[in-house]
Amino acid sequence: MPELRRDPVIGRWVIISTERAKRPNDFNIEHTDEPEMECPFCEGHEKKTPTEIFAIRKPGTKKDTPGWNVRVVPSISPKFKIEGELDRRGVGMYDVMNPIGAHEVIIESPRHLTDIYQLSELEIQDVINTSIYRISELEKDIRFKYCLLFKNHGLKAGGSKKTKHLRSQLIATPVTPTRVKEELRGSRFYFEYKERCVFCDIIRQEIETGARVIMDTKTMAAIAPFASRFPFEIWIMPKIHRADFMNMQTDEIKDLADVLKAVFAKLSKALNDPPYNYMLHTAPFRRSKRPGYWHTIEEDYHWHIEVMPRITQVAGFEWGSGFYINPTPPEEAAKYLREVML
Amino acid sequence: MGFKPHLRGEGGKKIMSQLRRDPITGRWVEVAISNPKKCDEFDMKPQVKKGGTCPFCPGNEKMTPPEIEAIRDIKTRPDTPGWTVRVVSNKFPALKIEGEIDKRGIGMFDMSNGIGAHEVIVENTDHNKDLADLTQDEISAVISKYKSRSLDLENDARFKYILLFKNHGEAAGASLEHSHTQLVALPIVPKRVKEELKGAQNYFKYRERCVFCDMIAQEQQEKERIIFENRNFIAFCPFVSRFPFEMWLLPKAHSSEFKSIDDSAIYDMAGALKEILSRLKLRLNDPAYNFIIHTGPIRDGIYEEYHWHLEIMPKLTNVAGFEWGSGLYINPTSPEITAKCLREACAAK
Repeated sequence: MPELRRDPVIGRWVIISTERAKRPNDFNIEHTDEPEMECPFCEGHEKKTPTEIFAIRKPGTKKDTPGWNVRVVPSISPKFKIEGELDRRGVGMYDVMNPIGAHEVIIESPRHLTDIYQLSELEIQDVINTSIYRISELEKDIRFKYCLLFKNHGLKAGGSKKTKHLRSQLIATPVTPTRVKEELRGSRFYFEYKERCVFCDIIRQEIETGARVIMDTKTMAAIAPFASRFPFEIWIMPKIHRADFMNMQTDEIKDLADVLKAVFAKLSKALNDPPYNYMLHTAPFRRSKRPGYWHTIEEDYHWHIEVMPRITQVAGFEWGSGFYINPTPPEEAAKYLREVML
Repeated sequence: MGFKPHLRGEGGKKIMSQLRRDPITGRWVEVAISNPKKCDEFDMKPQVKKGGTCPFCPGNEKMTPPEIEAIRDIKTRPDTPGWTVRVVSNKFPALKIEGEIDKRGIGMFDMSNGIGAHEVIVENTDHNKDLADLTQDEISAVISKYKSRSLDLENDARFKYILLFKNHGEAAGASLEHSHTQLVALPIVPKRVKEELKGAQNYFKYRERCVFCDMIAQEQQEKERIIFENRNFIAFCPFVSRFPFEMWLLPKAHSSEFKSIDDSAIYDMAGALKEILSRLKLRLNDPAYNFIIHTGPIRDGIYEEYHWHLEIMPKLTNVAGFEWGSGLYINPTSPEITAKCLREACAAK
């Protein structure tokens, strides 16, 4: 019998097929070796990108030259422009606004690597620290309401045809995106009712039952969520309650680096380097003058990272209804990932 | 007057795009306006039909679960050739029809067993003909089956929503190439539908008008996003298109439920659907697409604030991490350009 499961945060229903469940081998991920273009993100090619915004680099080396570990540059094809005023207005019944925003690329390694697990734990910590620094810098720009950190890995996940060089992207937007609002609203609603954080409750229950846990460290946990939309969907969550990714402490950064390395190594091995997206869900920038607007966000919201392997086609049914069909129960996905030996 | 984009930002720099907000769901979309992708810039590979044994072709009726309904020659028996439109259960249903709904909690999580109906409407007998290739009368027959199945499944008290959708082409998730539409009856109202209803209700509360009726009025006034119009239906590329060549087809008369469509409206809907699908096929070399009928939940009565419609989403771009995570879509072209493109495409006779 298939099961309908409801996401406790935003109330989305998912159909989990329990019969004929799909195993990793059923997905048959194929790779065609298309030649990449000359990579603008490799060390030595610094002039091929727009001017560097920030870099962790060796003392004595100059901006836009070799000698860095992590480097942040504006996107070559930005989706949002940094200059200008917002200019909100109406056109008949419609609302429009200029797309003011920031679009940055975090180049995660000077070497031409393609997946995050190929970095060492220390290198991943540098990447995390850079992300934290850039988000807190963007927060200072009062035009921005939200900052989204995400990664497109592989062509099917929207990755570039030109180069697979390891990187993530940051987009700061002048509006809070709807998906983020839904999550904020859902977690606030839960908090009003129970006076507990819904994510803390999820972590507690998952660790108690264990069936959907992929990895559990002192401060971070990786789980296959109960109402997974996609096969092998993974959430990485801090066990210490925090609304903002930026407020992580040193030991948490260290644990996050370890978890990222292990989880992506397992995913790559289990599914033969599948295309995936991941994105950081963190609290929006808080500067609203409305009293009480962000009253409980510190308590009711909990940052986390959602990883979505793109190994099934999202068809009309899912688009139209926001109702997903997942052929792999998360319990089985978690079991496979736990058992993958690195 | 058509909408004139604001072209200059600070320091005379050209602004390449615009954020537009959907008046129903509040979703923001970034639309390229001053340097949008042109129609011929979307790579399209024509769909190739592989052929082989097809369970939906005449003569293979035994390969599908038993027929639920069909338009067929009265001298022929069910599950034999002689039909023109045929409805069967999905052989690999996402939900099962037998059993009672059993909702329960597991700790903090909620779940239910997967009760529902999952049917397939085979649109015609010819393996090589798509919906766009059928005549207006043939498409009318298909739509009348959408209606009769909706009416029939509504009698089952376990169901709350009926979703009609079509996946055309492999990239849009079609697993069988013989043209068909799917119907899913669900024991819950899906989230996307609830959001749309809530948005329409908020708009109505403030203005006492249907947001979709207002949208039709504004589109008719501005004209530049309209693709096709007949007596009962209008098709346009919505102002807040999430995807290149997104198209909406709406009945001009306010109605919240698809199932209340009458015969003359069915005929006009078929005509409009044929027109826009043929233009899309012709202009873009038969792209993969999904369409979905958005209608009110069953047994909820009639909504003054909701207006049923059909949304067509061609699959021309890959939805990437940013769109997934934020619900903020980036459209590399503008609906003004795509509507013009489709208006100018000479539709197949």
